[in-house]
Amino acid sequence: MSEAAGNRRVAGLAIESAAPRAWRASLAVIAYGLPIAFILLPLLAFLAYSFFSVSGVTMSYTPTLMNYQRFFTDPVFLPVFWRTCLLCLEVAVLAVGFGYPVAFFLAGLEGRKKYTLLLLLMVPLLMSYVIKIYAIRSILGGNGFLNRALLALGIIDQPLTIFVYNLNAVLLTLTALLIPFAVLPIFLSLERIPRNLLEASADLGASNLQSFRRVVLPLSLPGTATAATFVFVLAIGDFLTPQMVGGLSGFTFGRIIYSQFGTAFNWPFGAALSVILAAVVILAIAAGTRLGGRQRGAS
Amino acid sequence: MIRSRLVNICLAAITAVVFIILYGPIFVPIVSSFFVVKWGNVQWDQTTLAAYVALAHNDGILEAVKNTILVGISAVILSIVIGTLLAFHYQSGRSRGRDIIQFIVFLPFLMPPIITGLSLLIYFREIDFERSLVTVIIGHTVFVLALVYRTILVRLQALSRSMVEASYDLGASGWQTFRHVLLPHLASAMIGAAVLSFALSFDETMITILVTGTDSTLPIRLWAMMRLGFTPDINALVAIILALTTALCLIAARHLMPREAGARSA
Amino acid sequence: MTDDRILLELRSVSKSFGPTAVLEGIELAVRDGEFITILGPSGSGKTTILRMIGGFTQPSGGQILLEGRDITGLPINRRPFNTVFQDYALFPHMTVAGNVGYGLMVRGRPRREIAKKVSEALDLVALGPLADRYPAQLSGGQRQRVALARAIICEPRLILLDEPLAALDVELRKQMQLFLKDIQREIRTTFLFVTHDQEEAIAIADRICVMNFGRILQLGTPHEVYYRPRSEFVARFFGDNNLIEGKLGAGDGMHRRIDTPIGSLLCAVDGQSEIAAAPAGSRAFAVFRPESIRPQLVSADGFAENKAEGRVTAVTFAGATTVAEIALTGNPGPVPARLRLASRVGGAAVTPGEVLSLAWPVDECRLVLA
Repeated sequence: MSEAAGNRRVAGLAIESAAPRAWRASLAVIAYGLPIAFILLPLLAFLAYSFFSVSGVTMSYTPTLMNYQRFFTDPVFLPVFWRTCLLCLEVAVLAVGFGYPVAFFLAGLEGRKKYTLLLLLMVPLLMSYVIKIYAIRSILGGNGFLNRALLALGIIDQPLTIFVYNLNAVLLTLTALLIPFAVLPIFLSLERIPRNLLEASADLGASNLQSFRRVVLPLSLPGTATAATFVFVLAIGDFLTPQMVGGLSGFTFGRIIYSQFGTAFNWPFGAALSVILAAVVILAIAAGTRLGGRQRGAS
Repeated sequence: MIRSRLVNICLAAITAVVFIILYGPIFVPIVSSFFVVKWGNVQWDQTTLAAYVALAHNDGILEAVKNTILVGISAVILSIVIGTLLAFHYQSGRSRGRDIIQFIVFLPFLMPPIITGLSLLIYFREIDFERSLVTVIIGHTVFVLALVYRTILVRLQALSRSMVEASYDLGASGWQTFRHVLLPHLASAMIGAAVLSFALSFDETMITILVTGTDSTLPIRLWAMMRLGFTPDINALVAIILALTTALCLIAARHLMPREAGARSA
Repeated sequence: MTDDRILLELRSVSKSFGPTAVLEGIELAVRDGEFITILGPSGSGKTTILRMIGGFTQPSGGQILLEGRDITGLPINRRPFNTVFQDYALFPHMTVAGNVGYGLMVRGRPRREIAKKVSEALDLVALGPLADRYPAQLSGGQRQRVALARAIICEPRLILLDEPLAALDVELRKQMQLFLKDIQREIRTTFLFVTHDQEEAIAIADRICVMNFGRILQLGTPHEVYYRPRSEFVARFFGDNNLIEGKLGAGDGMHRRIDTPIGSLLCAVDGQSEIAAAPAGSRAFAVFRPESIRPQLVSADGFAENKAEGRVTAVTFAGATTVAEIALTGNPGPVPARLRLASRVGGAAVTPGEVLSLAWPVDECRLVLA
C-alpha cells in the first residue's frame, strides 16, 4: 500500500471516529455547501446568462446565440479583443524580460541576502492597489517624476504625454505592477537547479556562457513559462487599471465587459464576453502548463 | 559557476532599476505623508504628522477600514473552517467527487477575479440576494478558500500515518486524536494561511467592486476618491497599511516556512 | 519463562488487497509472557500480521481471539495492545514525558498518577533525566526507548514491535536487542516482534515464526529453526547452510538415507514424520551446517558420520571464524559446500587447493523436501 494511500485511509479513520454519523452529514453539508452554492452555481448561472438576451431593460430568458454572434460580427469587439490579448502578451514579455535577470541575480547571491531581497521585492505587492496605480499614473503624468527627470537630463524639452491615458500607459502600469509575479516562479526554478550540474558542465570544459545557454536556460524554461502565463492571466483579467490609466483611447476587453454591467447594462452580453475571456485564460494556462511541463526540471 | 564581474554588475544594475520601478510608486505617498502638502505640492522643508492626525478624524475612512477588517476576519474564519473540513474529506479517501470539488475550490483563485465577481453578481441577482457586506464576505471567502485549503491539505498530507495510528493505539478516541495530534500539527499552517488570507482580503478590489452593496470597504472608498484626488491623510493611511500588511506577511512566512530543527519539529 | 496459556490466537486468518493475496491460512497461537518473533523477508506478510493484531487493518477472513474472545472487529483504541512503530511515531510537539504519559492522559487518569507512572517508565528505560526534552533533541536510540516506555506504561497484554531496531546502527542494535530482552523478562509482558534480520531473531526470541509469501513456514525455538529446518526456504534463510539435493532412500523412522551426487548420506529425521513417511525416490535436500563439518583427521571415532572429500577453492577470514568454500567430489560433477572453522592466529587453518577429507555427524544432518 503506498504511503499516500495509507495516509488517506488513516485520516479517514480519524474522521470516522471523531464524528458520529449525524455530525458527519452536517459537516459534509457545510464543507460541500459553500463551494457548490457559491462557486459552482454562480459559474453555471453566469454561463447560462451568456445565452440570454436583453432588449431595453427587460431580460429574456430564452436561450440564444446572439451574444456570441454579436461578438464575432460587430466590428468593434473583435479588434479590441485581439488588441487586449496582444497587449497582455507584451506585458508578459516585458515582465519576464525584467524578471529573469533579477531572478538570476538573486539566485546567485549567497546566504540570507537572496531571501531578504526576494521578500523586499514582494513587499510592493502589499501596497494598496488603487493608490499604487494612482501613484504610477502621476509619475508618468505631465507633471510627474518621469517627465521631470527627462527634462532635467535634457533628453526632452517638452513634457511627454504619450505615457498617460492610452494603451501605453496601461502597458507600462501593468508591467510595473506585475514584475514581482514574474520574478518568483523564475527564481524558484533557478534555485531548483542542482549546483552539481553547473559544476559538471564546467568540469567538462564549458564556458560560463555555454553553461548558461545549455544548462541553466533550458532548465529554467518551465519556471519562465509559468511566470509568463501568470503575468498574462493577471494582466488580461485586470479591468481596473485600464479604467484608471487608459483614458479614452486605452480601451481594453476588460473595460468593455465591465461597462456591460454598468452603463451599457447588458448583463447577458457581458457574461458572454466574460466566457470568451475565461476561454482565453484556460487556453493560456494550458499552453503554459504544456510548455512548463515539457522539461521535468533537473532530476 | 562564478560570474564575471561585468555580468554581475549588469545584473545588479537591472535589479536596481526594477527596485526603483517597484518602489517608486510606494515612496511617493508614504514619504510625503510626513511632509506638509500645499495645493498638491509637497513642501519638502516642513515635516509634520498632520496627515496622521487628520486620518484619525476621517470618519468615512475609518468606517471603511472597520468594514474591511470585519470582512477580512469573517472571510478568514469561514475559509479556515471550510478549508479544514475539505482537507480532511479529501484525505479520507479517493474518488472522482473529491477531485471535482477540489477543482471547484481552486477555480476562483485561478480565474481572473472579474469572472468570479461577475458570476457572483449574476447569481445574487437571480436568487434575489441583496448586495451588502455579506456578499463581499462571500466573495472574499471563495477567493481565499483555495489558498487556505491547499495550505492545510499539504500540511495534513505531511503527517505520517503512524502518528495517528500511535494515538489510537494508545487508546485515544477520534476526537482526542484530533485535539492532541492533528490540531497541533496543523496549527501553524492554519495561522500562516489565515494571516496571508487576511492580507489578501484587505486589499482585494476587483471582486469587491462588483459585489458590494452600500457599505464600502477601504478599496471601494479609495476607488471612489480617485477621481477627486486624494487628501494627505490618505498618504498616512497607505503608510500605516503597508507597515501592517508587511508585518502580517512576515508573521505568515514564519508560520509557513519549513520547520528547522528545534523543539517543535518531528 | 513463558507459561503455556494461550494469550492470542489467529485462526485461518487471510488478507487480500484487491486481487492480491498477502496472507493465507495463518494459524498462530501466542503464549502468555513469551517473546515471539515473526521473521521473514520484505513482502512476506509479517508486518500485515502485526497490523491486523493491532487493529490497523482488518483481516479478509478468519478470526483473532484474545484469551478465547473474538476481537476481530474491535477498533484499535479498544484493544489492550500497544505498538512500538518502526519510525517511533513520537509526537513532535510533546516532551518525552508528554509522549510517555499520553496513553494515561487520554484515559483521564489524574495528573499525579500520570507523573508517577511516567517517572517509573522512564527509569525503566534509563531516560529519567530527559523527561523534558523534545523528540527532535534525542538520538535514534533514545527515541526508540521513549517509544518503548510509551507502550509499556499502559500495561498492555501484548506489545507489538514493528522492526523497531531497523533504523539503528549495528552496535546500537545489538545493545538494544539485549535491552529489549531484559525489559521483557522484567515486566513479563508478551512481546511480538517483527523483523527481517535472522540474526536478530535468533538472538532474542523465545520462539520464531518464519514466514514467506504470506504463509507461516515454521514455528519453533531458535534452535529448532536453526538446526532443524522443515523447508528449503527456512534452511536457506538462516546463515549459510549446506543443501545438497538428492533422492530419498530407505529409512527407519529415526534416520533416512538420501542418494546424492556425493554419495549416499544418512540423515536424522526424528520429529519430522512427514519426511520419515515420504515415498522413496522423492526429491529432497540434505541439510547440514558449515560449522558441523570437521576435517577428518582420524578415520573412525565412534560417532556416526557422513563422509566426503573435496578440494578447497576459496578461504575467507571472517574474524572469529574462517569460512572455506569446498568443491566436494561428486558424480557427475563437483558439489559446492561450505565449511566453517574457528580461526587460528598462527595461520590459515586450511589453504586453497588443499584436498580435505571431511566428516559431519549424522545427527546434525537433516532433510527437507524439495
